[in-house]
Amino acid sequence: MGLEKFNPSLATHDLIQDLKWSPALREEFATSEAKVLDRYPLRKDERHAIETRNFLALYDMGLHPYLGGQFARLIFGNEAGKGATIAVNKLVESLQGKGSVA
Amino acid sequence: MAEIVFAAGAPHAPGLIGLLEAAPADVKDVVTTTYRNLTEAIAAAKADVLIVFANDHLANSRVRAYPDFLIGMAAEHRGPYEWFKPWIGCEDYTVKGSPEIAAALFDGMTRRGIRMFAQNENLKFDDNISVPVLLTNIAGTGIPMVPVLQNCTVPPIPDQHRCYAVGKALGDFIRNDLPATMRVALLGSGGLSHEPGGARYYFIDEVFDRWFLDLVASGDHEKLLKELTLEKMEAAGSGGTAELLAWVVVLGAIGPKPGKSFGYTVHKDFKCGVGAVLWDMNANLPKQRAVA
Repeated sequence: MGLEKFNPSLATHDLIQDLKWSPALREEFATSEAKVLDRYPLRKDERHAIETRNFLALYDMGLHPYLGGQFARLIFGNEAGKGATIAVNKLVESLQGKGSVA
Repeated sequence: MAEIVFAAGAPHAPGLIGLLEAAPADVKDVVTTTYRNLTEAIAAAKADVLIVFANDHLANSRVRAYPDFLIGMAAEHRGPYEWFKPWIGCEDYTVKGSPEIAAALFDGMTRRGIRMFAQNENLKFDDNISVPVLLTNIAGTGIPMVPVLQNCTVPPIPDQHRCYAVGKALGDFIRNDLPATMRVALLGSGGLSHEPGGARYYFIDEVFDRWFLDLVASGDHEKLLKELTLEKMEAAGSGGTAELLAWVVVLGAIGPKPGKSFGYTVHKDFKCGVGAVLWDMNANLPKQRAVA
């Protein structure tokens, strides 16, 4: 699973970049995720994949894996050796076949 | 003619800071030995400026408007960017910049047909710049830094041939555009094998890593350009290993030179092979044909 499916037009890329770049948006995403998602032109299946934490499906749609890794940290935790490790393990679990890891 | 007085390639895995203390003793030994040697070599080189090439990691630009090379022109470079702090587990730092050299680099590369972008505002740095800056004490040395963040992961990726050509133009710029007495240090930041965000997140390709370290230390650039393909790097860890292209830029600038490594180590928690090469800027390889 590499870059062969990469689709630069996927709106999830913008969501992830904005979350990285804005602490306020991260806070809103944590408390009112649906309101944040409403502001992005997500495909129906794309939004469902985000809501169910299905990284495998997002990658199949063309999410860039590097941003996928960051999205996992945005959702599950970002601290070295703690939340970031949980995030990596959840991501790998999804990508290795489980799909949804909500 | 300005002179390149230091050239090295080194990894920047965030775990080298945040997870080092918990690493096994033999792993720690390779990491500390490597960066101690690089720190001493940078200090001994008495460089007037350090130019660092490193993977941008999608930290500064959207995928639809992604520059292949982005020069940081700020007078001061502060890092790491807020979101990356807990992930790297490092302190804040401020490194002196060099707006004049950054502007000269932008102009010089443009004149040489190399499209680069440049930004006056502080770039967002993650492990790409933070790890080498902290582990080699760049802030402490006071050497001004010019960071150049490059596209190593957003297709289409400039391949080894393109990065080497960029490096050759960089070398020409240094030797012919910068002041005659200026001493320049070059660092390629990135690698070794890793697959950040991929299904093989914990995979490290030790065979590839050792092959790569031996090859770049040999000074055989013909073989390097023939064999270090994007496909080979992707196989060794998709989306991560190709950041070794930052080393290729440096190699293009210095030409064929032998180098030395300070060991190689693998640690699962780093999720990245670890090893560096310091090239001997005083050596010549007379039997080595320069790469066209």
